[in-house]
Amino acid sequence: MNRISSKAPRALGLVRMGRLDETAVHVVAANLQTVLDIPVDILDAMDLPSDSLLNRRQQHDAGLILKHLSQQAFLDRYLKLVALTDADISIPILTYVFGEAEVGGRVALVSGFRLRQREGGMLVPLDTYYERLAKVALHEVAHTLSLYHCEDSSCLMHFCPKPADLDLVQILFCRRCRFMIRQSIREIRKDAALLESVRVRPF
Amino acid sequence: MSRIRILVVDDELIVRESLIGWLKKSGYEVSGAEGGCRALEILEERDFDLVFLDIKMPDLGGMEVLQHIRRHFPQTMVVMITAYGSVENAVEAMKSGANDYLMKPFEPEQLTLLVEKLLQQKKIIDENIVLRHQAASRTRYEDLIGVSDCMQQLFCIIGEVAAVDSPVLLSGETGTGKELVAKAIHAKSSRCRGPFIPINCGSFTDTLLESELFGHETGSFTGAVKARKGRLEMAQCGTLFLDEVGEIPLKMQVDLLRVLQEKKFNRVGGTTEISVDFRLISATHKNLQEEIEKGAFRRDFYFRLNVIEIEVPPLRDRREDIAILAQHFLERFRRETNKPLVGIQKQAMDVLEACDWPGNVRELENALERAVVLAKGRSLTKEDFAFLIRSPGQTTLQSLKEMEKRHIQHILNLCRGNISKAAGILEINRTTLHNKIKSYSLQVNE
Repeated sequence: MNRISSKAPRALGLVRMGRLDETAVHVVAANLQTVLDIPVDILDAMDLPSDSLLNRRQQHDAGLILKHLSQQAFLDRYLKLVALTDADISIPILTYVFGEAEVGGRVALVSGFRLRQREGGMLVPLDTYYERLAKVALHEVAHTLSLYHCEDSSCLMHFCPKPADLDLVQILFCRRCRFMIRQSIREIRKDAALLESVRVRPF
Repeated sequence: MSRIRILVVDDELIVRESLIGWLKKSGYEVSGAEGGCRALEILEERDFDLVFLDIKMPDLGGMEVLQHIRRHFPQTMVVMITAYGSVENAVEAMKSGANDYLMKPFEPEQLTLLVEKLLQQKKIIDENIVLRHQAASRTRYEDLIGVSDCMQQLFCIIGEVAAVDSPVLLSGETGTGKELVAKAIHAKSSRCRGPFIPINCGSFTDTLLESELFGHETGSFTGAVKARKGRLEMAQCGTLFLDEVGEIPLKMQVDLLRVLQEKKFNRVGGTTEISVDFRLISATHKNLQEEIEKGAFRRDFYFRLNVIEIEVPPLRDRREDIAILAQHFLERFRRETNKPLVGIQKQAMDVLEACDWPGNVRELENALERAVVLAKGRSLTKEDFAFLIRSPGQTTLQSLKEMEKRHIQHILNLCRGNISKAAGILEINRTTLHNKIKSYSLQVNE
């Protein structure tokens, strides 16, 4: 893992927003790097945008945070940018989400706020929490790589509406989703290389 | 397999966009509409499996859009979206035919389960439609279509008649499908591998008919530069269908009688006898008994033709077949014209079922062709068949009251006194119609 990003967009950028513990960020970075086979750069922490707080719901609007992230100048240096937060996030139609990303988009957001919970209010052990966080991060990054939800209940792309559902999926993509991820990364890298060659070619 | 199509109708951009984004993550093809009017336009352009519909919208409310969907696209599933705390609206929407409702904001699990449940229901409905189509195919016999008792009886008779080789005389009004019956008999008979040769005896002059039937040798008459086979020869080992047999001139009836008895004939201008083996089916819309009385038809020829007589019923005697025939023609013309028509509205079907169809199935076929060609919407409406309910005497100068009186009487006659149907076509309620009948002293004949 590098703290300094390379010039060409070959790595994923991982940024902490809010007060999430550093171990969580490192666990997520390691898992993203291992499962996706892409280098991950951990970036300096950022604040949540002030306008994302929905006062009535006491939650942050995930859509507004994604918009804020997509306006960052350093975004161009990364294949995708993933933000981790401890804040409770939602989208206007849903009461909560664990993560948010646009299919084929550049940025993804993951919240650990509800992932520590067990049904009945008890907390799950930290290792379970970190694993859940990594699973949601991988799921959201895969959305940015144009993957949809998967019907295979053990695949990371299977939709998990409850925290406990995340414990039932493996920290692996099914064969079909794995193939699509590889294809998608190859396409992105090809486009990036093409862009780079255009940039350096003298007129 | 085609992707599932979902339409999200909500005037709030963030709600619409977030729902669209969320549904896209599951791989659905999702479109959005910012209001009721835009939703109606999009629905006219393409089919959707599921529609999320906000109840409160400024231009056209969700309830109105729901009613439109239920009327025109009954297979589309609809989920009403309502703000937290307005359960009354949701209940009203459910009563009006919505499949379910959601209160904003909803739990992620609730939304997933609901979408999965409704798409499962939709799949069952679609399968049901396919099965119904398959069941409808049982109402077909070769190219004949009918669910009515008289058509079912006709199908049985055709099966029995096809098994023997006797001549058949088909009687019935013009446009009832006599040629289709003849084709069905041929197709079910042991001669089905042979040709089916039709000839309309009414469409030729005497000389031409003779040449068409018997063929001719070179130089047998002016213009006969080449020898030619007639229909009798062409029908070898198959079926000869003589349509409008009542139009055959008396002299030729004798010639044909000889062919039927001896199975031999000579071409026009020929000297060699040709043997033939065919099955004869003839058809007429005339009453041949009356023609015999008038001396226009030979009795011996009639008995030779009429070994088995089958009467093909007029469409007005099998009104229960009108809907299925109309659907059949709609499907055919829809394919031919490449128009995205999905069905016939109930009021339009009422009009079709109310008509007497003097031109029978052919007239119904023509009416459907005209309506399909000129249709503007995605389903055929009563207005598309306005030409069928035009009142007599529309060109004469008459007052509005006289016009109304005549029109109501005309519709009552069309509906044979069925008040509900007539009220439906006139788009007034039954009480108003009763009042008008009373005030104009109209006749309600059954």
